[in-house]
Amino acid sequence: MKANDTARPAALTPLVLSWFALVCLTFVGLGLSQGDMRGIWFQLLVAALVWFKGWIVARYFIESHLAHPFIATVVRVFVLCVPLALVLTALLGERFARLATL
Amino acid sequence: MTAAAIPAFDTGDKPAARGRIPGNHGIWVGITCEFVEFLLLFTVYFVARAHFPDAFESDAARLSIVAGTVITLLMVTSSFFIACSVATMRAGRRRASIWWLVAGLVVALGYPLAKYLEIQWNVAHGINGASGIFFTVYYYLTFTHLVHGFWGILGMLWVLVRHLNNGYTAENHSGLEALASYWHATDIIWLIIFPLCYVLA
Repeated sequence: MKANDTARPAALTPLVLSWFALVCLTFVGLGLSQGDMRGIWFQLLVAALVWFKGWIVARYFIESHLAHPFIATVVRVFVLCVPLALVLTALLGERFARLATL
Repeated sequence: MTAAAIPAFDTGDKPAARGRIPGNHGIWVGITCEFVEFLLLFTVYFVARAHFPDAFESDAARLSIVAGTVITLLMVTSSFFIACSVATMRAGRRRASIWWLVAGLVVALGYPLAKYLEIQWNVAHGINGASGIFFTVYYYLTFTHLVHGFWGILGMLWVLVRHLNNGYTAENHSGLEALASYWHATDIIWLIIFPLCYVLA
């Protein structure tokens, strides 16, 4: 391996902070699951956590905000789908079950 | 067909007014298909959960939350290392980029190992795919994700071989960035599976 003459400092700080945030949010989710909180608020908080973690990976690892609009949209929609489904099942669980019955 | 009739190959590296392609076009076709596949599986999860809320709440508590947490930390850390590999390559620091990639690969290899140990733990606790609707969905989701994890690990090996053979430069490293995009997408999917199967107990 040869050292590269044109080497510049890499911007790793945002990546380190993103990783740290993801680890912290993982433990926040664990804390929620081990606590007494249940019901709609628990599901809404988990939905928010899922969205936020997905957003961090999309924004800082994939850099979706700099990507082609199609890619940015695909990632944004995918990250939003499950949190939205969690909110819908939390608020409209039985109605959603009836809609999904064949 | 003459050469003039063949459209020029776009590497996807050039920043355009409409935004850049992280990696290349091909990997984003694959990632979009991967997202569609998991959206279908998540739909199955939510339909089953809406019909059997009690089974999903009680059976999820039988899983090893330690295994789920370890896999989450492995995925997030591996994804971080691969992102660092791209960032250092972009800065022209090839040697550092290779070491970050090796670190990402080593940590990623912990995922199938942790999954194997988790399955052993499940079997020891009487949990298999026929143990109930929740476990059927859980095995479908996590095994499918594991398969995608294997593709990512194979991709890392391929990119590492190319990297060691001077395959990437600060100006052109779309292969490395394509692998990184795929691995980050696989990471996002796990970050969704983890709360669905382990946290919402």
